[in-house]
Amino acid sequence: MSAYLGQIRAIVWKDLLLELRTRERVVAMGAFAVLAAVLFNYSIDRTVVRPQDVGAGLIWMTIVFGGLLGVGRTFHLEAEDGALQGVLMSPVPKDAVFLGKTLSNFVLLYAVSLLVVAVFMLFFGMELGASPTMLGLALALGALGFVALGTLFAAVSSGTRMGETLLPILLFPLLVPMIVFGAGATGRLLSGRPVSEVAGDIRMLAAFALMAVAAGAVLFRFVVED
Amino acid sequence: MSGKGIRLTGTALAVLGLVGIVAVYWLSFFWVSTEVNQGIAQRIFYVHVPAAWTSFLAFGMAAFTSGMYLWLRDERLDRAAVAAAEGGMIFATIMLTTGPLWGKIAWGTYWTWEPRLTFTLLLWFIFLGYFMVRNSTENPEKGKRFAAVVAIIGALDIPFIHLSVVWFRSLHPEPIVLKPDQPSLPGDMLTLLLTSLVVFTTLFLGLFLLRYALETLRAGQQARTREATA
Repeated sequence: MSAYLGQIRAIVWKDLLLELRTRERVVAMGAFAVLAAVLFNYSIDRTVVRPQDVGAGLIWMTIVFGGLLGVGRTFHLEAEDGALQGVLMSPVPKDAVFLGKTLSNFVLLYAVSLLVVAVFMLFFGMELGASPTMLGLALALGALGFVALGTLFAAVSSGTRMGETLLPILLFPLLVPMIVFGAGATGRLLSGRPVSEVAGDIRMLAAFALMAVAAGAVLFRFVVED
Repeated sequence: MSGKGIRLTGTALAVLGLVGIVAVYWLSFFWVSTEVNQGIAQRIFYVHVPAAWTSFLAFGMAAFTSGMYLWLRDERLDRAAVAAAEGGMIFATIMLTTGPLWGKIAWGTYWTWEPRLTFTLLLWFIFLGYFMVRNSTENPEKGKRFAAVVAIIGALDIPFIHLSVVWFRSLHPEPIVLKPDQPSLPGDMLTLLLTSLVVFTTLFLGLFLLRYALETLRAGQQARTREATA
């Protein structure tokens, strides 16, 4: 068991170190988040609708599109110089590779999610609401479910002729529960409603994330075999 | 069953289904009584509900055979999955076109974010992804594996999609046949609905077998081409 955790840690560490040195994905995702918030600002007529009213939905859409940008390139750098072959041929079980990749993607996306919330607070004067901890938890569970499905389907789409174009088509129909429960909880928390009102949404987000991680860990080996 | 047996059974079931569809249309226009509140618009029900049921059956078969394919790696299971998924797409499309037509008259709007309608739309897109993945790999074996993974994840996500879309208030008529007490549908309407369910299922099974036989022929043809070029 500790050997297995060590293997996962090695993959996570390798990916994060790579990201720390190139800063490719995290800069792209971060810049995307800020620029999206700027565009949203001009797409909302403040005399018609208050930004706070649509803020929760926009936060989650920014996370989804920004996440797509980063997660879609999970295997890109490694596939280019054949290093992915090396990772897959190493004596590490395929599910450990998947969990490692998912965790490193999660660290990136969660950092970007917090940045998105900060940017929306700054640009639109939104308040953190009744419970910042619960908001952080909702974002974490949503991001975990997203990166688990995203990592699995990034491996699928990078093996096709269509590449990353295919990723949103595969991913978006499956993300409806994450958006419904995630944006629902965020919207209520941001408008200062009590934590008890969002407990159900948080539980559903946790169940969704658990399903996505478990299914991805089991099915990943079928995607990368040969 | 031999390849020829499958083709003959498939043809017989498909012809039976098509004749049955004509009968269902005739019965729903001239025989069944008109519903009091909704008027003649309600007659689309005898196409809409069986199409919905058949598409769920087909997608369920596709997800099940996909899972079995990843496990056993039998080419026949993959052929069954793609045949069922195509049938599911056809019947889901019928359900998605008849639903809004009826909705315009009964609800006053073509589209509403009603759970069952949204649910079928998302299923339709999940299986669109299934076919796109399948057809965009250089290596067909890889495409089959990828498509099976899409179908299985789709099946696992379905309970979550269902729960989340129900979160919104539902406008859809409540179940009138499969419910704890007696069906509340009047006799002749229930008879026609059940007849139509049998007819649609028969048509689907016929199309499924024909499509399965076609995939088998195609695989044989490809194997022969490979041998000839080798």
